Amino acid sequence: MRLLSLLLSAVCAYALHASEAGVVDWHKPLAGVPLLQSPATAPTFHRREYENGATRSVILTATQSNVLAALNPANGSLEWRHLFDDDDRILAYRKNNEVVAALSGLGGAYLRLFDTLNGDLLLESRLHSPEVGRLFEPESLGAAVAFGAGEQAKDIYVLTDGHVLRCIDRHTGDVKWGWSAPDQTSLVIYSKIVATPSTVYLLGLAKSFSSYTLHVTSLSPVTGELVASSAIPSSVTTGFSDVVVLRDLRVPELDAHLVWLEDKVLKSFQLTPGLKAKPAVNKGVAYKSVHDVGVSEYGQLVAVKDDGSGRVIRLSSEGLKVIWEYTDSDSSSQRSDSIYAGGLDVDGYPYIARVFWSHTFRQASAHVFASHLAEGKGLVTGFTFPFKTGEHGIISHVAVDAANPEPYRVLARLFLTTSTGAVQLWQHDKLQWTREEGLSDIRVAEMVELPERKVAAHAGVENETFGTRLRRQLADAQDFPQYAVNFVRRFVTGSYASVSASVAPSANTTEPLSRDTFGFRKVIVAVTSYGKVYGIDSANGDVLWSRVFGLGWAAQVGGHIIPAKLFVTRTVGDGETPQVVIVTQRKANNGLVDTVLFHVDALTGEDATGKSPAADVLQGHDVVSGPIVEAFLLRTSAGRAVVLLDEFLQVHLYPETDEAQQAFEKALPLTGHQIPPKVEFTGRHIAYPTWSLPFPPTEDIRSVFARPADPVASLGKVLGNRTTLYKYLNPNLVGVITGPSGSVPLSKAATCGVYLVDGAKGTIIYHAVLPSVDGVCDVKATLVENWLVYHYYDNEVGPGQSKGHRVVSVELYEGHGVDEKIQSSDLTSLANETTSVSIYEQSFVFPRGITTWSPTSTSYGITMKDIIIANENNQIQSFPRRFLDPRRPKQKPTTQEMEEWLIQYDPVIPDDPKRVAKTRRIVTSPALLESTSLVFAYGLDLFSTRVAPSNTFDVLSENFNKAQLVFTIGGLALAIVVVKPMVARKRLRERWYE
Amino acid sequence: MRIPLTLFALASACASAALALDLKGRVQWTPQCPSLQELGQAKVVLDDGKLRGGVTRDGSFVIPDVPAGTYILSVIAHDYQFEPMRIDVFESDSLPEVRPYFPGTPLSPAAPATLPYPIMLSARAKNDYFVPRESFNVLAMFKNPMMMMMLGAGVLVLLMPTLMKNMDPEVLEDFKERQAKMANIQSSLQSGDLASGFSQLLAAGDEPKAAASGSSKGASSGGAKQRGGKNKRR
Repeated sequence: MRLLSLLLSAVCAYALHASEAGVVDWHKPLAGVPLLQSPATAPTFHRREYENGATRSVILTATQSNVLAALNPANGSLEWRHLFDDDDRILAYRKNNEVVAALSGLGGAYLRLFDTLNGDLLLESRLHSPEVGRLFEPESLGAAVAFGAGEQAKDIYVLTDGHVLRCIDRHTGDVKWGWSAPDQTSLVIYSKIVATPSTVYLLGLAKSFSSYTLHVTSLSPVTGELVASSAIPSSVTTGFSDVVVLRDLRVPELDAHLVWLEDKVLKSFQLTPGLKAKPAVNKGVAYKSVHDVGVSEYGQLVAVKDDGSGRVIRLSSEGLKVIWEYTDSDSSSQRSDSIYAGGLDVDGYPYIARVFWSHTFRQASAHVFASHLAEGKGLVTGFTFPFKTGEHGIISHVAVDAANPEPYRVLARLFLTTSTGAVQLWQHDKLQWTREEGLSDIRVAEMVELPERKVAAHAGVENETFGTRLRRQLADAQDFPQYAVNFVRRFVTGSYASVSASVAPSANTTEPLSRDTFGFRKVIVAVTSYGKVYGIDSANGDVLWSRVFGLGWAAQVGGHIIPAKLFVTRTVGDGETPQVVIVTQRKANNGLVDTVLFHVDALTGEDATGKSPAADVLQGHDVVSGPIVEAFLLRTSAGRAVVLLDEFLQVHLYPETDEAQQAFEKALPLTGHQIPPKVEFTGRHIAYPTWSLPFPPTEDIRSVFARPADPVASLGKVLGNRTTLYKYLNPNLVGVITGPSGSVPLSKAATCGVYLVDGAKGTIIYHAVLPSVDGVCDVKATLVENWLVYHYYDNEVGPGQSKGHRVVSVELYEGHGVDEKIQSSDLTSLANETTSVSIYEQSFVFPRGITTWSPTSTSYGITMKDIIIANENNQIQSFPRRFLDPRRPKQKPTTQEMEEWLIQYDPVIPDDPKRVAKTRRIVTSPALLESTSLVFAYGLDLFSTRVAPSNTFDVLSENFNKAQLVFTIGGLALAIVVVKPMVARKRLRERWYE
Repeated sequence: MRIPLTLFALASACASAALALDLKGRVQWTPQCPSLQELGQAKVVLDDGKLRGGVTRDGSFVIPDVPAGTYILSVIAHDYQFEPMRIDVFESDSLPEVRPYFPGTPLSPAAPATLPYPIMLSARAKNDYFVPRESFNVLAMFKNPMMMMMLGAGVLVLLMPTLMKNMDPEVLEDFKERQAKMANIQSSLQSGDLASGFSQLLAAGDEPKAAASGSSKGASSGGAKQRGGKNKRR
């Protein structure tokens, strides 16, 4: 039993040592790319004022990763973030001095209040069940939140479902009063709340024949009683995007005005409790659009004229007044369209910035207008800033914050969101910081091995003459004394490369990327859905290089690039710098889909085809005009080629060389499909299916998984009684997860299934039926070597049942017992023996739900495979194989079983959390050391560490003390020297006196 | 058109199909986990997380509209561990029952002990993500039984000469004889003369018996020496 406990402690000891935290692992928390579709979720500056007059600012934003986040404008660090669940999308957020109110879920099901500075959840209140919420298009329509004004400062008004308004107490969460539109079936959808001390106005749109009519309802803020409700004679075609409510918080006696655009004419309506006013028309100038830039509560908006020039319009006691027109802001081919943004300074004065890109100067410019300066005449401060469009795409959103340190001087801070998902803060023309938030949506990623330093330095020296070689070798020999000194020093002090040391390069080194002693340093090539590819240093998470994908011909019409697969086409083993090919689908805005390949150097990000210059966007290679169904990598002795199958199962090769063609013709087999050796008339091979496996009509295929192409070190498992179980290693094995079919009505008996299918002929090797929770199949499975593991939630309630997460571990062995060998790894698919398999399986209770998992991967496959799990708790855990062994004995292990290191079966897997948020996928990659596997997890955050499933058996332990060893040996030698004459004397005496 | 408050609340409750209950509780702040800043974003979930509620700054949480049934309540917090609980929500108006729950145990029969409602939770432990480095510890090394045996043997070796000196001459004689015999057995075993070694071993085994019975029937090959010794002792 003692042995057992010792063994267990040894198993658990693979985890990080405290001294290694932050050295061997790194974690980059991200917030996600700001949600820009609606001003209610776009980034804004917020300045919290304390009672003593001090202020502190944060940048608040809701993001596409469904996170509400606050960034520190000074250094770009993440102040706080709140992760919302995936079925609970953020619709809008609103801030006042102390709290941020966020509305989320279908129709606005949840209201949450957060502290603005530390993100503490103050209140969570469910307003209605998310299932009964009304879905609007866009999502944010029909939901709004507003803070009470004046005496009702403690109240929050929440509009949900487009027709229900609640007044909620900020501290207790109690509903003070509720109001619901009398006729819910009417077509009025309320979407905005204007809260004044005397009245609460609700603004809605009613659908009429070809346009919308504005509808206003006024309520009492104390009791919620209806004061008036009326439709305003109007016709709006673009929804709420051209409707702005103007009011001035600093001049409370001024009534709020509703401003909208109708047939290019600006109209306004004075909001009074009785709603008796008549719409006023501002004739004269034709406008294209009206923008609420975030300072409408301070009485200003931007209207864009028909020719594109922007005007600032202010609400005054005489109505709307144009106070400024930006010079040279009309549409022109020399510059992009302007983006307008409004912000406040410490004293609450509004500023409006106009940002545009100049095509002629290739620089971005900003003009910041301050209406209160220059004795109220308005002051514009202009500057240009060197925005790198080749690196960050185009500016898609701007938020502004301004300061006025001295008269006639305006200091502006611009917060930019770019099309590649980066966010930047510019203080005038100086870049303060950049966050690559695009990394929060990585679609594909791969770790690429680095070359050794020598290779890096001496690449391309094959064809040198004798003279040059002599010169080079002499130059190299100059370093010899230093090398010798180093060698001696290393020998004496014992400062060897350590496995737990950081492999990050020291700062400001300019030497090329090279491998460390143990191969822990790699380049992570990650492709995001924002059309950018990054090279990330696996040692510290720094971005080494990044490239923006070019759109090719689609640049004219616009479009986006969806990465599909990433292949390493050339590795260090081939003697040259590694290269990767990224397979992407380009969706142009005109609906055409193309398959585009990008071929880059993994070390520098340079275009491997040499077509696009380093500073510009990366140009792709259009291989298929249309989508593809599958892409895979063909590994042959001649090299690697990417094989693409288009919709018509035609085969495309990349690179399209004769060698690749010949290699492909030699290889030909394709799982489940056959490719005739004859070329069709189109000049391409066309695959045809050889088998099909109909699953029951009640089941739909949810996902298909296959075994990773890792080496398998041992073909069998030697048991305690010296017999061998041979692993079933059919290379064509694929796993299929099925779920209840969408075409069949949902029933209680709906189940999910896990199948293992021989991909070459469609034989089912293994099948298990799993319970489904409300028709949802949250089954995760992974297959490595002969080991299948799947995880599901068991909801069966009944006598003796217990609900919880289960994990089932299945091992496949050849034949029907021990010592039966069919050589499944080399067996032809035509043989009958492929179905001769024995299965060992065992289920375990798993401590919690998981989001994704992946087996560890080492260079030779000798080390035990652990499972790296990302759980619902946003942690990354490593579960040892030993715990999940299906052959764990049910009773006390016998000596034979102990010899196999089997431990007694215990249904509960111990929970041992070791440490990322919303993990989407985990990539494991071998290091040079067999014992160690590199782990890179991505989702919202990025996380990387190293694991050693069987301990670092191939390197000296960190605890190894060389000095101690030397001292011991020295001591022993000394003892021998001292004792030897003594012993000799004694022997002599014995001879004499015996 | 204003609907009275109660009516409104009723209307929203009626929207969900059956009579359901808002499950309330609180996370107690302990010295180990003193505030929400320490705990971080946390939520309390029933079963697989479809029904959930966020933990607010004062530690309270509400899981809205829980239909009748048996649930396992667990806390999803990044850095702290909480005990799971079993919650039974009834069709009737009675309060839900809270019981401790151990993962992997069957749900029926239910544990007899019930916990108070509203649910009180407290962090059991903070997750420790690191393991201490195995360092060289002399004390721990000597706690090992093998090490202790070796130590004992070493002490014996050291003390032997002094012990021998203080021994009674007669006893010493006997002891020396025994030692010589053992050496004899060992040497014969080593030289591969198993038969003689075995017989000697047998003789050695017989000897105490003979001593106990007081007779000299254990006489066998190579027994002459023994007998002499025995006689001497008597």
